[in-house]
Amino acid sequence: MAATAGRPAGKVSWQNAVRDLRLWLLLLTAVLTLVNGYLIFMVAPTDAVLGHVQRIFYIHVPVSILSFLGFLVCALAGIGYLIRRTERWDRVAHASAEVGVVFVTLALVTGMIWARPVWNAWWQWEPRLTTTLILWFIYVAYLMIRQYAPTPQQGRTWSAVVGIIGFVDVPIVYYSVQWWQSIHPRQVIGPEAAEGSLEPIMAQILVFSLIATLALFAYLMLERVGLRGIEDRLSQLRREGNTN
Amino acid sequence: MQSDNYTNRPSDAAILLDTDAEEERSGWRSNRTRLIILVGVIALAVTYMVYAAFPGNTQYFVSVSEFLDDPKLHDGQTLRVAGALAPDTFRREDGSASSRFALGDKELDVPGLIPGSRVMEASYVGVLPDLFFNPHSEIILEGSYDAENAVFTTDNILVKCPSKYQSLQAENPDVAPGAAGATQGGY
Repeated sequence: MAATAGRPAGKVSWQNAVRDLRLWLLLLTAVLTLVNGYLIFMVAPTDAVLGHVQRIFYIHVPVSILSFLGFLVCALAGIGYLIRRTERWDRVAHASAEVGVVFVTLALVTGMIWARPVWNAWWQWEPRLTTTLILWFIYVAYLMIRQYAPTPQQGRTWSAVVGIIGFVDVPIVYYSVQWWQSIHPRQVIGPEAAEGSLEPIMAQILVFSLIATLALFAYLMLERVGLRGIEDRLSQLRREGNTN
Repeated sequence: MQSDNYTNRPSDAAILLDTDAEEERSGWRSNRTRLIILVGVIALAVTYMVYAAFPGNTQYFVSVSEFLDDPKLHDGQTLRVAGALAPDTFRREDGSASSRFALGDKELDVPGLIPGSRVMEASYVGVLPDLFFNPHSEIILEGSYDAENAVFTTDNILVKCPSKYQSLQAENPDVAPGAAGATQGGY
């Protein structure tokens, strides 16, 4: 890669390695996303009941699952931060909460677009949708608390606590369609998925779409963690400038 | 290159960390365990509260037979009743959007009515959802019961689709790919 060219091998720093990884991931994500689009619109069969609108499923389900992963990372990194108190854990927690909020927003929006023609309503106050909206609010609150805390130190601690408690809602969202009556379809993936709920070709395309979305998730995470590192360094320099 | 500057300095994170840790050491070191336990307790409490509170007072809808068996629901209160469209019961008034039909019980992810199920008369004025007539659909009526005329007056119709996705070919291998019926969903 260009960044490491012409330099002795031993001097290649981990930052450069991360930057290379980021570029490769970006490329990989772009290719996977294009292939994913082709699979969804050209290869996936049209659903017998729902028709073409069912294709939104291949986006809706992966972004929902990846938002769960984002909040899991946020909760674990929050625990890591509370125990170790190092900036690194907080960067990961912060980045994963932001990426998670983006994905859960996409899940809500794609869900609404899907619901309008099928359910005959954009939104219903039913368990799956309501608990997902609560999840959205929890992690938006997580991001706001960081800004509103009197000191950055308190912001990190308080948001870590919110991130950990907030994760409780994730299994509630997943099991909501099973615990309570719901207009939302049941799980088609994960521990509670009914057998035969997906035709094999549909399941294969869903798995591919999950991998493509995971690549996007990983890329956004790397990019955001790196950006947070630069932000921290900038505020460090500002502080040094003020004290001198 | 910019990135070189980063590597040669002591980790900026480490500098931040040291100052942070010193500021907070006396307070947080002793309280940390307590904080983690507190977080765990609150998390468990929230889970329990949500689990305990939800099913008690929010039943999203009742089935047709649950509705027929419970006279308390017949007093004109607004509620949702879910079921399947009974075959050959749909009638529309000529030149209007008024329709009459009957709803019976439906089993999850099984198309059509449960054989021998009792039915409830319903009326509706308005545009029907796209998947209203699909046998896979579970129809949810929002409205209230008009005891005088023995009909459920529907304000709004929702459609719940099966938690199962398959192509027309898989559902019915006799249909040739690309046949006219392949887009019966309309989208």
